[in-house]
Amino acid sequence: MGRRTATTRTAALLAAMTLSLAACAESDDGGGGGGGGSAEETGPIKIGAVLDITGAGASLGVPERQALELLAGQLEEEGGIDGREVELIIEDNQSTEDGAAKAMNKLVNEDEVDIVLGASRTGPSLAMRPIAESTETPMISLAANQAIVEGSEWVFKTAQNDRVVIERMIDYMAEQGWSTIGLARDASGFGEGVAEMFDEIGAEQGISVVATEKFAPDATDFTAQMVNLRNAGADVNVIWGIPPAAGLAQRAYDQLGIETPVMQSHGIGNQVFLDTAGDAAEGMVAPLGRLVVAEQLPDDDPQKEIITTFIDDYTAEFGAGPSTFSGHAYDAWQLAVDALREEGTDPQAIRDHLESVTDFTGISGVFTMTPEDHAGLSKEALALVTVENGQWQLVPDQGD
Amino acid sequence: MTDLLQLLFAGLSQGAVYALVAIGFVAIFTVSGVINLAQGEFAALAGLVAISAVGSGLPLLAAVVLAVVSVALVAVIMERLVIFPVKRMTTLVSLILTLGVSTGLKALMLLVYGPNAEGLTPLTPGGFSVAGVSIRYQELWILLIAGIVSLAVYWFYERTLAGKSLRACAEQPVAARLVGISLTKASLISFLIAGTVGAIAGVLASPIFFTSWESGLTLGLKGFVAATLGGLISVRGAVLGGLLLGVLETLTAGYISTGLRDAVAFLLLIIVLVARPAGIFGRSAEARV
Repeated sequence: MGRRTATTRTAALLAAMTLSLAACAESDDGGGGGGGGSAEETGPIKIGAVLDITGAGASLGVPERQALELLAGQLEEEGGIDGREVELIIEDNQSTEDGAAKAMNKLVNEDEVDIVLGASRTGPSLAMRPIAESTETPMISLAANQAIVEGSEWVFKTAQNDRVVIERMIDYMAEQGWSTIGLARDASGFGEGVAEMFDEIGAEQGISVVATEKFAPDATDFTAQMVNLRNAGADVNVIWGIPPAAGLAQRAYDQLGIETPVMQSHGIGNQVFLDTAGDAAEGMVAPLGRLVVAEQLPDDDPQKEIITTFIDDYTAEFGAGPSTFSGHAYDAWQLAVDALREEGTDPQAIRDHLESVTDFTGISGVFTMTPEDHAGLSKEALALVTVENGQWQLVPDQGD
Repeated sequence: MTDLLQLLFAGLSQGAVYALVAIGFVAIFTVSGVINLAQGEFAALAGLVAISAVGSGLPLLAAVVLAVVSVALVAVIMERLVIFPVKRMTTLVSLILTLGVSTGLKALMLLVYGPNAEGLTPLTPGGFSVAGVSIRYQELWILLIAGIVSLAVYWFYERTLAGKSLRACAEQPVAARLVGISLTKASLISFLIAGTVGAIAGVLASPIFFTSWESGLTLGLKGFVAATLGGLISVRGAVLGGLLLGVLETLTAGYISTGLRDAVAFLLLIIVLVARPAGIFGRSAEARV
């Protein structure tokens, strides 16, 4: 073995080690020690937020941060809550689970916030949940998977549960006479358990999943998954992910010339999806919050006014319209502020208030929470939406 | 059969991008023994520069040229500021230095271009279908340009006097200086080549694989693995390594499990380092291919 060979091997090993060290360094440095909740009735009220601002969830976390900053600014102009200043502390979890747990620890132990909003996606939200439960801190997640709130005491959420989304999709499939589903799902928390839920909810109508493919949330090439879906030959294919991955998957699907109808989840309600998917999105059907089709809503729609106001404020501030994700943040913020206004900063009282929310009209739907349901939305909160000429369009005959 | 061809084709176009990044590693390592961990960032930066240039109204081709030139410039500046001043450069020192540059570039890209992933407009939009295999025009561009660039770099290092003198610097630094080859100029030229090739990889890949501030990490890792497959000193090895890696990844995703896709690169890396440290295409007793 020549000298050169040894050098190459050492160099390669060193490089590999340095790279993995660099990866580790980003996820070190745990949160500081104890300290309980803050129940004092003076000083600023603190609202913490943990969002996926960088990384795979950026297309969710960024509009959510903007919505929260907008709302916090508006509240400040109104003079806060009962004359008390409201401080908003936003942490970036880098779209990772450990980042979310770390940020949650910091907010709860160091900043002693009164309530936490976030995270943007399911995985990070699940990582925060045990901390919320053990420190008895009220938390409102902005993510989808029902597992976030199942059996929870202190955790609530504002995004539509995947269960109600799937109910809506199954209804549509039954109407169209489809009975087999090919599924390409996000490999992280958002897609976890989705195939099983399709089978469970679809059982009554005889609809079942015949093939499941997975993709990483930051994946860029989808040829393999889409080829396998094509071979599965299902009646309808479902892509279950968030942009940009969901948009790229849609593009790969179209590019392979697959003619089977395709549905997507409620994870795609933003401009990034339309931009990434481009023409490939035409004709795709997805259950989304009404925000994306606000101007097409009938005037008597209970959400129309609140959605329109939010869109106007948001557009005036940031120059571009909000996404459904900023809507999840809006709802979480309003629920939190309402609870703080009514109950002060006693965590137990806030929790009890959140659990008894009835007919709260938000961006994503009309919320009614119960001890059993900490998500509060039914399938009525979703409109079936398609894409026509690069614009969101209500699917005809589905208006309700 | 159609599936296999489709997967192979997707793998080749992905692999061509890895190959270009790998050539960047090789271009620098052969000259100065420096491993440039910012190689992936060159690609990401080029993609982002091109996207924002197109966004501000520049024609696509001009944006691409602007991106390649500015990234090549970044590479040259990086060499002058970070590599050149170090008196006794070892591979370990170079790793630490270039890791710093990589982290800095990432932070800068995040600040300037924001966290969202975007795609550049393809050189030719659309695609066509042959025997059930659908092909995007952009993929053909990737393969074509990657082929030309690899040949050019190969020809430069192996067939021209200037290229050979660059390689001599790594082989016998003292002797090279004795016959009048400037080591500092050689290192500068190697960074210029690496920056240009990395930038080309970035703008070619962006329309299909998208670019964000952090996409350089994965691209850099894969490119590095591809370069190691070729023993880190062979352009031909790096190109074959890149194509092999791309194809293996897609086949693994298609036939075994999509979850294993990213593991392929590292499995390969381990196997090669243990079994054939000179690279799978290199002869272990001989220094250079």
